Amino acid sequence: MIKIPRSYPVALVIALLALSPIVVLLNLVGDDFQAFDARNLQVLTNTLLLMTFTALGSIAIGVPLAILTTYVRLPWGRFWLIVLAAPLALPSYLGAFTFYAAFGMGGEISNLLGIPTPAVNGLAGSTLIMTLYTYPFVLLTTRASLSSLDASQIYAARTLGLSLMMSLWRVVLPRILNGIAAGALLAAMYALSDFGTPAIMGLDTFTRVIFVEYNAFGLSQAAMLSLQLLVVIMLILFLESRFKGTTERPGRHLYFWPSAQQKFFMLLAASPVFLLAIVLPLSIFFLWLWRDGLGNFQLAYAWNSAYASLIAAFVAVLLALPVAYAAIKGKVGRIMERVTYMGFGIPGIVMGTALVYLGLKLPFMYQTLGLLVLAYVLRFLPLAVGSIRTTTESLDNSLLDAARVLGASRNEAFRRVTLPLTMRGLIAGAALVFLEAMRELPATLLLGPTGFETLATYLWRVYEAGYFGLAAIPGLLLFVLSGFGLALMFSGERSADLDNKNEPSKR
Amino acid sequence: MYRRTFLQSLALYGAMGALPTSLANALTSPTPSAVSVNDLPTLEGELTLYLGRGEGGLYEDVLAAIQKRNPNFTLNIRRGPTAALANAIVAEAKAGIRRADLFWAVDSGAIGMIANEGLAQPLPSSITGQLLPEFQFENWTPVTGRIRTLPYNTQRLSADKIPTDIMDLPDSDLSIAWAPAYASFQSFVTAMRILVGEEKTGLWLKAMNKRAKRYAGELGVVMAVERGEVDLGLANHYYTLRLKSGKPDAQVNLAFTNNDAGCLVNASGVVALSNSDTATNFIRYLLTVEAQSYLANEAFEIPLVGQVSPPQGLPGLAQISPPKVDLTKLADLRPTLDLMRKVSVL
Amino acid sequence: MLKVSHLSIHYGTTQVVSDLSFSLDHDEILMLVGPTGCGKTTILKSLAGLVPISQGEMTIGNGTHHWTATPKKQVPPEKRNVGMVFQDFALFPHLTVQENIEFRLSDAALANHWIDLLGLSAFRKTKPNSLSGGQKQRVALARTLAHEPAYVLLDEPLSNLDAALKDDLRWEIRQALKSAGVPALWVTHDQDEALSVGDRIGVLRNGNLEQLDSPENCYSQPANRFVAGFLGEASFISGEYHASTHQITTQLGDVPCAIEPTGQSVDVLLRPEDLSITTNTPTNGVIHWSRYEGSARLYSVLLDGDREVKIRTRHDNRLMPGDQVRVDVNCTHPLTVFPKEPG
Repeated sequence: MIKIPRSYPVALVIALLALSPIVVLLNLVGDDFQAFDARNLQVLTNTLLLMTFTALGSIAIGVPLAILTTYVRLPWGRFWLIVLAAPLALPSYLGAFTFYAAFGMGGEISNLLGIPTPAVNGLAGSTLIMTLYTYPFVLLTTRASLSSLDASQIYAARTLGLSLMMSLWRVVLPRILNGIAAGALLAAMYALSDFGTPAIMGLDTFTRVIFVEYNAFGLSQAAMLSLQLLVVIMLILFLESRFKGTTERPGRHLYFWPSAQQKFFMLLAASPVFLLAIVLPLSIFFLWLWRDGLGNFQLAYAWNSAYASLIAAFVAVLLALPVAYAAIKGKVGRIMERVTYMGFGIPGIVMGTALVYLGLKLPFMYQTLGLLVLAYVLRFLPLAVGSIRTTTESLDNSLLDAARVLGASRNEAFRRVTLPLTMRGLIAGAALVFLEAMRELPATLLLGPTGFETLATYLWRVYEAGYFGLAAIPGLLLFVLSGFGLALMFSGERSADLDNKNEPSKR
Repeated sequence: MYRRTFLQSLALYGAMGALPTSLANALTSPTPSAVSVNDLPTLEGELTLYLGRGEGGLYEDVLAAIQKRNPNFTLNIRRGPTAALANAIVAEAKAGIRRADLFWAVDSGAIGMIANEGLAQPLPSSITGQLLPEFQFENWTPVTGRIRTLPYNTQRLSADKIPTDIMDLPDSDLSIAWAPAYASFQSFVTAMRILVGEEKTGLWLKAMNKRAKRYAGELGVVMAVERGEVDLGLANHYYTLRLKSGKPDAQVNLAFTNNDAGCLVNASGVVALSNSDTATNFIRYLLTVEAQSYLANEAFEIPLVGQVSPPQGLPGLAQISPPKVDLTKLADLRPTLDLMRKVSVL
Repeated sequence: MLKVSHLSIHYGTTQVVSDLSFSLDHDEILMLVGPTGCGKTTILKSLAGLVPISQGEMTIGNGTHHWTATPKKQVPPEKRNVGMVFQDFALFPHLTVQENIEFRLSDAALANHWIDLLGLSAFRKTKPNSLSGGQKQRVALARTLAHEPAYVLLDEPLSNLDAALKDDLRWEIRQALKSAGVPALWVTHDQDEALSVGDRIGVLRNGNLEQLDSPENCYSQPANRFVAGFLGEASFISGEYHASTHQITTQLGDVPCAIEPTGQSVDVLLRPEDLSITTNTPTNGVIHWSRYEGSARLYSVLLDGDREVKIRTRHDNRLMPGDQVRVDVNCTHPLTVFPKEPG
């Protein structure tokens, strides 16, 4: 007897929904496309290198920061977590542009301080920028799987004579591979789909070819190239799915107790990330603001950004739940989950246009907030699915059985046991979607209600026109607001805390 | 301050009772002359404008002033990249839905695409007649012009070292910045193709490619010139003027070639997608002396109606002698991209 | 009362449990015992409604609850009014002890009753992660019984606990179940546990119920060699059955026979307690090894002809491996025999 898991039908509907923009792209591909030529191969190589280096870079920054924010009780711990996750809310093209303007010969830094700095450009520059604006993917997903890890194994490793670093490496790392891979996948796909950063850094990537076509009104050619890019994406999705960490039930939470001095040095080591990703761009913008004067910015833009992104985060988590559960249930579910990832790697502007075609199928919703939220959800669903899946996988099945035999229905067991125990994953997923939606541009421009201005669209307007000083205040607001949004979400994490507060500290 | 007086004059409503008497004069007049907002009928009803560019609030000021002057008129604005909005308009038309009444595009190529799809509504000659003769088209209206320029670093170069023929540029010993992915650059190459033919253009691109450094956009080109990364760049005029207005001591100046694609004048344009008086009257507002002067002075765009002076720092069009190219032909981008790709410029 | 008839369970195409039938009285404790992989946990899960059954049916019928589950009409776990105690306790880590026990209760009195009875008052506000294993299992038991189940399923409840705790806790659980007055099915792989707390024992192998009887009968009159071996040390010696005397002639002398065997040549089951060991002559074996158990000593003796038997004696017996000894059958009860194994 073959029993179809309950999550499958819902997950199937969502997967088909997520697949629909790709069907639109297939329809847009006309007869007059050109085949993949040798020059595109060079471009593809650049793309793959950038993607690989970005994934590695985001792991190199994201994993240590995840361990720091999860296992060390830092003063103002939540504040640091929020600050370190916030780069995800800033559009990477702004970062790329400020780095370009700040460094190198005649850059703002050498103008102001007289210190010659190396230029930030090319593959190295693109990798640096991409890493700075994607490592929070890895930070958040890794953190989610770290916090549901049983500490006793690391104690075992220490007593077996491993140093702390070695036991992290040999005992903790293999068990959080799922989380790391999920985050690195997102970073890689972001690197694949972003146009602005490599363009500003002067690196020829696949997205640039697509963008040139798109701007020259070769929509069908751009769609064709996007579908070719999709092949790369599918390959990466396949590779990531081969990454199997262990699944285990959550146990006692691990804490390290470094001295105050050690904590200081840890934060000191983490600070360049924050300084480069947030402080530097904002400082440059404020410098220009001081030169150029204020523009016509309205606070309502910030409000628009915040509530559209919050709704999107909420809906995305809601839709991600059945997909994540289906992925855990079996192979078919896993395929449905992978399908929802595909849209994330398609360049935003092509995806935005595909979504216009889809939105027009629902004329009553076209250019409403509802459709915009749906577009956000379709684009960013994988962000939520990934982190929910990793935490749910580590949930002990007998807890659900226990709830059921105590008389709780499926729904009640889900509400009272699964939900609180996977809250960290839900929150991490919501946070990722929230941050990405805050900086999303093409769908917001094309699908939002007419006249709906957000921080991201305003930033784009002033950037396009070269009035960079005007980017200072919205840029700062984007940072502050994403901080508030994250604080709101992470405060929900407290209720999911498995530790007993009355209990004496455990080592 | 100019900005304030403009806003006041444009927004000032009805003391004189906005009679279109001098509008009639303008129509009968043989030489085009700019119309004042005071001569225009008030706007009523609702329009949706797709605005194909990000412009940091300057177009916004014009639109807000028009809105303020016409209290019974509501203007909804959707902004986006020109190509994206053009694609959206085509998609909407295919689905039988029309949301935009007007499309104001930064790029004449986008206008050409909309026109080719048969979505552009014909405009009355009373509108097209206001424009300089080479900018008169039957179903779209140029709003402002932009000219191809050679911004150069004043520290590294003097104006007399710069060739006056764009075709001579590769033979100079200058280091050059360009942005081949940028729409305006592609229009420039298209114009060169039309003017000198495919083969010469290909050779020119190939030769240039050896001495040119590639940038993402033309703002980047101008910044690179100003920083001294290169001697000279190829860019639309307004980036240089805007940079200099924010940084008066900037080490960059403009040079022009003579009667070739290198000093092509292209235009942003507006096209009416719905056949309504409100839409056509709205276009009239964009062509008023007030709106044109404001865009010239604050956004450094080139006014295209008669009797409005060009932006500060830019010689008049008459002094430059731009080439004669039919702007609608610039929409023929496909052969340009193929050519650029063939010589590995793109 | 709980009635299970002709129950079969499949995982995909693999049959895990076949044709299982038994019934439980209103406060009866049935121990299901068998080696790892015999299907005992699957049976529990199916009775809880967590695994669908493929054949047969199960019925609950007491005053207030009455239902029958069949392959066509599966009853979901929450409708069964079942109680289940898990091997890994399955306490909700995000809830306190009290919140766990009151999980779905509107009446706190029921929870308090079991909290007091099982000595958990001091831990009401504690989260499960900081409890010891024994405490956790008491909480799990309290949670189960406080919800007033119609029947209770225990899935190796003691296997994660210290040996020292096990003895006490197994009796505590038995007492609690009896005082709650519910039928219980208790799965274990520990034969001591099965023999000591069960009212009846079911021995499972490969999804089949090999024997279902009282602990005494299962131990002394096992249905087959597997059951005999699984429930304790079992030695076999061969003998000839004499129908006239109902006795069996073996190399250790004549012994009474408990059943009517099918053939003349039989193997007699000898428990270590059925034999005695002395240094009297003539000797008939040599000590192979000896194992000290505290209260007793277990010897392995190779009888003449190399047949091995195991013998349990008082702990002060001090024979050494290699000593020549005499083994005698030392029991009054009839012994169980099995048809002689070929070879």
